[in-house]
Amino acid sequence: MVTTPAQQPAPPGQPAPGQPPAPDAPGQPPAAGAPGWQPPAGAGAPASPPARWRTQATVPARLRILLITLLIAVAAFGAVGAWTVIQHASAARDVVSTSEPLSLAAQRMYQDLSDADGTATTAFVAGPNVPLAARERYAADIARAAADLTRLQNAATTAGNPRLVRGLAAVAAGLPVYAGYVSQAQTEFLLGYRLTAGSFMQVASEEMHLALLPAARASYAQENAALTAASARATGLPWIVVVLVLAIALGFVLYRAQRWLSGSTHRVFNLGLLAASVALAVSVLWLLIAFAVARTDLQRGVGHGSVPAEALAQAAIDTQQARGYQVLNLISRSGAATFVKDFQAIRAELGPGPGTLLATAAAASTGAGARWATAAAHDVQRWYTVIDRGYALDDKAQYTAETALAIGPGAGGSTAGFARVEADLSRAIDADHAVFHANATAGRDAFSGLDVVIIVAAVLMAAGCAWGLSRRLVEYR
Amino acid sequence: MALRSRLLLVAAAVLPLTLAAGCSGGTGNAAVPLTATPASSGGGIPAGPALGPQVLSETGSTLLFPLMRAWAAAYHQQHGNVSITTAATGSGKGIAAASAGTVDIGASDAFLSSGDLVTNPAMLNIPLAVSAQQVNYNVPGLRPATHLRLNGEVLAEMYRGAITSWNDPRIAALNPGVRLPHTRVVPLHRAESSGDTFLFTSYLSMQDAAWDRVTGYSTTVAWPPVPGARAETGNTGMVAGCKATPGCVAYVGIAYLSSAIRGGLGYAALQNARGAYQAPTAKTIGVAVGSFVSATPVNETISMVGGPAAAGYPIVNYEYAVVSKRQHSAAKARAIKAFLHWAITAGNAAQYLDQVRFQPLPAPVVSLSDAQIAKIG
Repeated sequence: MVTTPAQQPAPPGQPAPGQPPAPDAPGQPPAAGAPGWQPPAGAGAPASPPARWRTQATVPARLRILLITLLIAVAAFGAVGAWTVIQHASAARDVVSTSEPLSLAAQRMYQDLSDADGTATTAFVAGPNVPLAARERYAADIARAAADLTRLQNAATTAGNPRLVRGLAAVAAGLPVYAGYVSQAQTEFLLGYRLTAGSFMQVASEEMHLALLPAARASYAQENAALTAASARATGLPWIVVVLVLAIALGFVLYRAQRWLSGSTHRVFNLGLLAASVALAVSVLWLLIAFAVARTDLQRGVGHGSVPAEALAQAAIDTQQARGYQVLNLISRSGAATFVKDFQAIRAELGPGPGTLLATAAAASTGAGARWATAAAHDVQRWYTVIDRGYALDDKAQYTAETALAIGPGAGGSTAGFARVEADLSRAIDADHAVFHANATAGRDAFSGLDVVIIVAAVLMAAGCAWGLSRRLVEYR
Repeated sequence: MALRSRLLLVAAAVLPLTLAAGCSGGTGNAAVPLTATPASSGGGIPAGPALGPQVLSETGSTLLFPLMRAWAAAYHQQHGNVSITTAATGSGKGIAAASAGTVDIGASDAFLSSGDLVTNPAMLNIPLAVSAQQVNYNVPGLRPATHLRLNGEVLAEMYRGAITSWNDPRIAALNPGVRLPHTRVVPLHRAESSGDTFLFTSYLSMQDAAWDRVTGYSTTVAWPPVPGARAETGNTGMVAGCKATPGCVAYVGIAYLSSAIRGGLGYAALQNARGAYQAPTAKTIGVAVGSFVSATPVNETISMVGGPAAAGYPIVNYEYAVVSKRQHSAAKARAIKAFLHWAITAGNAAQYLDQVRFQPLPAPVVSLSDAQIAKIG
């Protein structure tokens, strides 16, 4: 029992023995300034308490007003809190189950298209009979890109994103055109018309570089922006702050109500309101911890997962383009100057060096991702040396040596150098995706059950308030 | 032509890459538009330049220069407010100047490379006319009407120094009944980077595996060291050098054939991919280009050396205008479009082309060119 005998409520209309009359006892409202009158504890002295107090409602009325106020505040806290948690949880689920897979699909489509072009041009230089491995790799690239394209188109149509639909339509329109030119090139080559075949290969590659890849890149950028936006929705502060403000306001009302009841009834605790306060504290604490964990996880996932993965994906595209230009130059044979210029532009973007893709990725990645990004930065410099040697041979019209260096099987050749960089980047991307997925999943899971907690806590608070105050009201009947 | 089409169809049907690419896409897109689009003159192409003075600048191919100069004069006569400046600076400079925006039209014997297009995606290469390349020689004692038969293997042997005399049995074997002198073979090649070198070495690479393996094809190649071999600048230099050098063999743009004939040089009947020997005439050039018409892609980038037509001459090419599709003003864009459209239609008349021995563009290619011209804005 939390009340003392001295604090037992006196019968209505009578003061307890040895106690001044209870204020505002039914039927006996004390006159303002009369002995036994007390202003509500902690309410602060009004400018002219007697005058104001005379206009105030009776205690039961005030208890009813208090009850209604508390119930409204609890309902507001419960509704806004649950809605906020549901929104954040939904956004976190969206990150893991929708945005991340779509972003990954867009990235994969982008990379597969680029890889298909690199594979097709390299195989073309090797001769009219495309090696089985290259054939399979090209076919797999195109098949994966087409599957991802279909998936992205469906998602974009469902989401009603016209800009993304248009970008993907450009990929859809260009893909068969590209593949048609590639097959035309291979057909001409098989028939013995290598130069005509070479021009078709160039046309195909131009379709890829000027139409398909820019559209795929734009689609990837949009999907990645959607991922970042979903993550921001899941970790956004405004509604959490609103819930906290509501919780503080509710806590304050509960506190003041208990102070008032304590002062006016001389009971230390009102069990109902105390229970409501505890429920409020527990739910708010739970909310804060869960939100902090989710926010930390999701931000870590984006910062150390998707951000470096995006930089690495672009780095992978750049290396494929650098490789593509090197091989296209072997087909084009009309001067390497512009290819060298394009290669230098890629090199400046790719890095390593301050502000470059590889530096960004290495700085943002953690663990295995950082190790592989660093390895890529090391290996790409060795590969640059080989490419430079190739273009130097081109300048001297040493095409046989250049071709051997560019597509030959030697460990010191460009094929091996490119493969090393590609493998480094692929592993780094996988590691960063794993980091993102693990953190995003943990962030999503942190919200698990939180909406139920908020709702149950609100119900408990309402019940506690109703029970605690109804007990007091009963005393006045 | 028919045989080639059938072969293409069969090969396309069996190529797994085609299937992988076309079937898995699932995009429901139309087939590759390899045939000519409908004529688009009138659709985005003005009937003439805008009123008010306009100056268009052109530079580039030395081969195209005489024709471009004739076109410029004729067009100015018809449209007095339009003046066109022309310059023979070489295809590479024409492409570079047009890409940099320092001239309105670059003239080139070769289409833009992928590197050019990636660097300057706004550039278009628009065929203006059909050209070819002949192999000239200065062999004393031949009858004037004689066209020596040569093929890629023999020419490669001459340019790598393995055939040193015109009466070599390998040349004689191709030319039964022709009395060949014991004159030393002097191969001439271009000193500078050249579209003509690209065409000639492409022909050698297609017909001679050893040449392809060792030297290859390009606008510049590492010519095998041959005693007495000489490097000349431009087609003019090649013709002049050959005239002055008994025993020479030289590759020269068709626009200089009249000059070469006047200088007493002979020109060869070259072996094509079907084994037939053809001299560069209007008919053989037209047949050769005709076999590529249906295959010309929409951006008109195509190499036509060593084509499949039995009656076709093996070294033919389009002469290109290199233009940006993004012009600074609507008036300039309109003037360029009107002029280029005029060049590939009225300008393709015999009165202009015959003087440089170019051939008119086939009608479907005119449509493709018009479609590209319409993109200029």
